[in-house]
Amino acid sequence: MELIDKLTILADAAKYDASCASSGAPKRSSRGKDGIGATNGMGICHSYTPDGRCVSLLKILLTNFCLYDCQYCVNRRSSDVPRARFSPEEVIKLTLDFYQRNYVSGLFLSSGIIQSPDYTMEQLIRVAKVLREEHQFRGYIHLKTIPEADPALIEEAGRYADRLSVNIELPSPASLIQLAPEKRLASITGAMGTIDSASNESRADKRAPRFAPGGQSTQMIVGADASDDSRILHTAEALYGDYRLRRVYYSAFSPIPNSPASVPFQAPPLLREHRLYQADFLLRSYGFKANELLGATGNLPLDIDPKLAWALGNRAEFPVDLNRAEPAMIARVPGIGIRTAQRIVSLRRLKRIRFEDLLRMRCVIDKARPFVVTSDYRPRQDTLESTRLRSQLSDQPAQMALWA
Amino acid sequence: MRVLCCEDDFETWRGQARGLLAEGLPPHAVVWEDENRPQLFAAEEPAPYHGGGAVTRVPGELIEQLRSAAQYRMPGRWNLLYRILWRVTRGEREAMLAGDCDGSELHRRIRSVSREAHHLHAFVRFQPVTDAADLDYVAWYEPAHDILAGASLHFAERLGRQRWLIATPRDAVWYDGAHLEYRRPCPPAWQARAQASSGGEDRLWETYYASIFNPARLNRQAMQGHMPMRFWKGLTEGKLIPVLLSQARAGSQKDGQAQGVKGKSGKTIRPARES
Repeated sequence: MELIDKLTILADAAKYDASCASSGAPKRSSRGKDGIGATNGMGICHSYTPDGRCVSLLKILLTNFCLYDCQYCVNRRSSDVPRARFSPEEVIKLTLDFYQRNYVSGLFLSSGIIQSPDYTMEQLIRVAKVLREEHQFRGYIHLKTIPEADPALIEEAGRYADRLSVNIELPSPASLIQLAPEKRLASITGAMGTIDSASNESRADKRAPRFAPGGQSTQMIVGADASDDSRILHTAEALYGDYRLRRVYYSAFSPIPNSPASVPFQAPPLLREHRLYQADFLLRSYGFKANELLGATGNLPLDIDPKLAWALGNRAEFPVDLNRAEPAMIARVPGIGIRTAQRIVSLRRLKRIRFEDLLRMRCVIDKARPFVVTSDYRPRQDTLESTRLRSQLSDQPAQMALWA
Repeated sequence: MRVLCCEDDFETWRGQARGLLAEGLPPHAVVWEDENRPQLFAAEEPAPYHGGGAVTRVPGELIEQLRSAAQYRMPGRWNLLYRILWRVTRGEREAMLAGDCDGSELHRRIRSVSREAHHLHAFVRFQPVTDAADLDYVAWYEPAHDILAGASLHFAERLGRQRWLIATPRDAVWYDGAHLEYRRPCPPAWQARAQASSGGEDRLWETYYASIFNPARLNRQAMQGHMPMRFWKGLTEGKLIPVLLSQARAGSQKDGQAQGVKGKSGKTIRPARES
C-alpha cells in the first residue's frame, strides 16, 4: 500500500481523539545544534480544519488493526473499515518532513491493539525513541498509553514523550463493561497511577531523567452512554485530584460508519460538549467544585454558560463590589475572566473602578452588568428574578440548518 | 506644531521622543507623519506649556510595551506612543494600564501584534529548496504588522542548523545556520525566490488535512475565528478549505469518515482465540 493511502486511513482513524495540544513541554531549542525541534510550553496551532479544531500535531494511528471491540470506536475489530499499518520509519519520516515545513509542532501517536498490549506499546515507544535519539528531534511527542501494557514500558514511554495519555473512555464503570468489553477500569486507572508516580519520582530527584514533563491527559466520550453531565464532571474532578491530570478532553460521540446498535445513531449536540469544556475550565482555573456547578444528577443548561448558571442560582453572593471584593470572587462574576479580574485589581490600586473602566477591559458587559457594583454604578436588575434575568441573558437560539 | 518622521523605526522614534521630553514639548504640539511631507498646520505655534511636575524616569517595562505596540501598522501610530510616554513621565502611571483610555488602546495594539507574531509562527509554510546550495527552506509570508524582525528567531530554534529565508512585501530575514540577517526593504532577488515557492502543492499534507477533518462536526465559524480568510491563500491546505466545506454540507455530515476512506474496501478482524 502507498504511503498516501496509509495516511488517508490512519489519519481518518485518529480523528476521534480530541486532543491535539502541544502545550506543557519544557523549553527546548535546536538553535545552533544538530537535529531539529523546539518547544516553548505554549504550543502552536498550525492550522484549523473546517470543524474548527486546531491542527498542532501530526495525529495518527500506527495501525488501525485492533483486537478489541469497543462499540463506540470506528476501529473496533467488527467494524468494516479499511485497515492499514505504518512502519515506524514511515511515521518518523512524515513527522520530520511535516515539522520542517512548519505544518505541525510534533507527533501524537496512538494505535489499535495488535498482537498484545506490550507489543503495541513497544512499537509506539520505538518511534519516539528513534525520533529522539537518532534524529535528535526536540519537538513535541504525545504517546497514547495502552493501559494493559507492562508498567516498565509505560515508564520507558515517559522518557521520550512530553505527554502520555490513557483514555478513561466512558464516565461510568458500568458503561465501560457494556461498551468496551476488553477494557477494565482498574487497568486504566492503574496506568494513570503508574504515570503519576513515575512523574513524581522524576520531579523529586533532579538527577533523574525527565518523565513526561507535559503531564498526562485523558478523554471521555460524551453521549455514547446515558451518563449525565453531573456524572461526567464528578468523574473529571476525581481524575484531576487523584492523578493530577493536566486535561480531561470531552469528545461528543460522533456517529461512525456501520455503527452497531449498542450506541446511539444520533450525535449529542456539540453545545453539550462545549458547556462541559466551560465547566471543566471553571474546575481547573476558577476554583469551582463540581458540586457547586451541578447537583448529584442533572445536566448543564445549554442556553446559558455554567458560570452564569451558578451566579443565577446564587444571587445572594451578588452584586459584587469591584472596588472591595476578593480577586477570586471578582473572577466568579459572569462576563469577567481571570485576566480581567487581575486587571481590575491592579487598576484599583491606582483609582476607584468606574463602570466605563469595565467597558474598556474586554468584559462581556451584558453578562456582567446585573452582578457588579462600581463607584458610579449599581445594577437596576439587582432585584430582578433569576428566571427573567436568565431569559434576558441566554444565548440566542440559532436557526436550524436546512440540511443538518 | 512640530512635524517629525521616524521612517517607522522604533529607535529613531525613541531618540526623537527623548529629545522632545527634555524640551518639555507636550503631545498636542507634535505630530509624527508616516512620510516626510509638508503639513497643513505645521506653521502654527503650539500652545505654550505651563505644566509643572518633575519628569520621572521612564520604567523599563514601558519601553518594552511601546516597542511592541510600535509594530502595529496604522497611519499615525507614533502619536499615541508619545502621549503615553509623556503622561507616564508626568506621574500618570495609569496611562500604561488597560483601564485607561490611552492604555487600553496601547494594550489593544500590543495584543494584536503578539497575535500576529503567533500567526507567523503558525502559518508560515516552508518549501524545501532543491536547486540551491545556500538555502534549505524558503517561505513567502504577508503579515499584517511589522513583526518579522522581532518574531523570526523562533524558526532558528525549531530548525537548528537548517538555512532558511522568509520574505514579505516589506522586509525579509535570512538565516544561514548561525546568524540572522534582517533586511528592509526586502531585496528583490530574495522576494523573487520566495514568491516562486509560494502556492506549492504537497499531496501528503493535503491528504492529512482532509482526513483529520471530521465533517460530522462542521463548524465554519470556529475555524474562521481562529484562521481568518486572509491567511488561506498562503497555506498549502488553503485551497482545500472551500472544497471540504461544501462536501460536508452536501452530505458527508452523517458520519465523520473522510472521502478518501469511503472508496476503500473494509476488513473486520476475527477475535483472538482464548489461549
